[in-house]
Amino acid sequence: MNSQLIRIYAFAYRNYIFAVRNFFTFAEMLFWPIIGILSIGLMGGFLSLTGNMKSFLLTGAIMAGVFQTSQLDVAYGFLYDVWSKSVKQTFIAPVRNIDYILGSWIIGTLRGIITFFMLAGLAAIFFKFQLPSTLALWISLAGVYLTAMISGMTVIFFIFMFGQRIDIIAWMLSALMMMLCGIYYPVTYLPAFIGKIAQFIPLTYFLEYFRTGYGFTLNFSHPLIKGFGLSAIYIGILLLLIELAFLKAKKTGMLIRLSE
Amino acid sequence: MKKNDIVVEVQGIIKDYKSGFFKPHYTHALRGIDLAIHEGELFGVLGPNGAGKTTLLNVIMGLITPDKGCVMIAGNKNCGKFSQEIRKTMNMSSGNPNYPWALTVREALNFYGMLYGLWGKNLSMKVDHLIDLMELKKYADTRFDELSTGTKQRTSIAKSLLNDPKILLLDEPTSGMDPNISRKIRKVIKRLHSELKITILLTTHYMREAEELCSRIAFIKDGKIAALGTKEKIKRMTSSKNMEEAFIELATD
Repeated sequence: MNSQLIRIYAFAYRNYIFAVRNFFTFAEMLFWPIIGILSIGLMGGFLSLTGNMKSFLLTGAIMAGVFQTSQLDVAYGFLYDVWSKSVKQTFIAPVRNIDYILGSWIIGTLRGIITFFMLAGLAAIFFKFQLPSTLALWISLAGVYLTAMISGMTVIFFIFMFGQRIDIIAWMLSALMMMLCGIYYPVTYLPAFIGKIAQFIPLTYFLEYFRTGYGFTLNFSHPLIKGFGLSAIYIGILLLLIELAFLKAKKTGMLIRLSE
Repeated sequence: MKKNDIVVEVQGIIKDYKSGFFKPHYTHALRGIDLAIHEGELFGVLGPNGAGKTTLLNVIMGLITPDKGCVMIAGNKNCGKFSQEIRKTMNMSSGNPNYPWALTVREALNFYGMLYGLWGKNLSMKVDHLIDLMELKKYADTRFDELSTGTKQRTSIAKSLLNDPKILLLDEPTSGMDPNISRKIRKVIKRLHSELKITILLTTHYMREAEELCSRIAFIKDGKIAALGTKEKIKRMTSSKNMEEAFIELATD
């Protein structure tokens, strides 16, 4: 097997072990998303929302759970080393930044798929939620996973630049992105200038596209082209930025400080 | 020793660390280090705390980019970035090592082995061999965070041998260990050097260790080489009976 594929597998293997051995990763995948979907579903019932409006909110709660689970895994690909103080050990080996990003993203995607089906199942059982067509579902999910990769990569970039003190950004960034891209409301409801910012977040377009499956009209043209296009651009830029931040971390001694 | 058997050459390395944003303060970690280490040599880097030993090893390993100067590994120049191929030929074990806490010894070795491209039977054979070599069988399924300091250190040395390195950097390999474990580790280092002919660069605080293991020594003080040569030469230079006395002589201002 190609040695880069082996390295990617190695990081997936490590993230998998951390995921099955640590309660906090279990809570992130199941506990918080379930609390979210049940709360939103019950609130929808209490407010006597129509079926469509309830679907709108439940879609947001499901995608929020999936997005948070997946993006955290990408950030964890690096944070596990930071928390274990083993960053140096990893980079002694011939590792490229893309290796741990992809390896941890694979596990993030798998955990996200589990979260998705569990939340969709619960929403169907308790709140009569139905999934849209299979194609729309998988395309939207692929988009959410790509945005999760972007969010996780941004966290990695910041940690290389500013050190472990900034690891809280792994939880803050995703919450901010979800607020901006209209996770529980249409982006048109946001103040105009924030709505403009939302147009730069790929997740906005994937949520829009997913909701067309429930009869909602699009606020943007060509959401998939824009969503996937922006994702590709951001992933390219972030790979470059992470490489530059890595070189800077070697220059400033941050790489070693992250291991102490 | 011949000039063409040099495997690690350090040329004019200078490294300062900056701290503070508004009132920057500079710590001079390395102030012009020149070294040449020959193939198959067991070379010691000694010096008091904060002398720059670990920084030097990190620079050689490519984990810290020097402000000035270059490192040549087997003739390949590195002034900031090592090629993947060069990194495959080197490895490092640090004192007080840290590895991913949730992984067992075997899993950690599997993980790092895969980072060097080991896979399938090759990987499991290598990991089994290193577990035997470092007497880790009893702890193979114990999580890293549950190991004693000595066992962590042996795991670290096992990890540093996964890629059959041609150049091995050992940063205080017996730091914080009881005399029995230290003796065992020294025995392993001797064996690696004599049987596998690995070029070893070792930092230590323990003069007995340096005396027992190293053929040549560089004594670093305040980021500069204060003495360089064989043990006998350093003892002669400082008019000392042993390395302990030589250390005190060289470390005292």
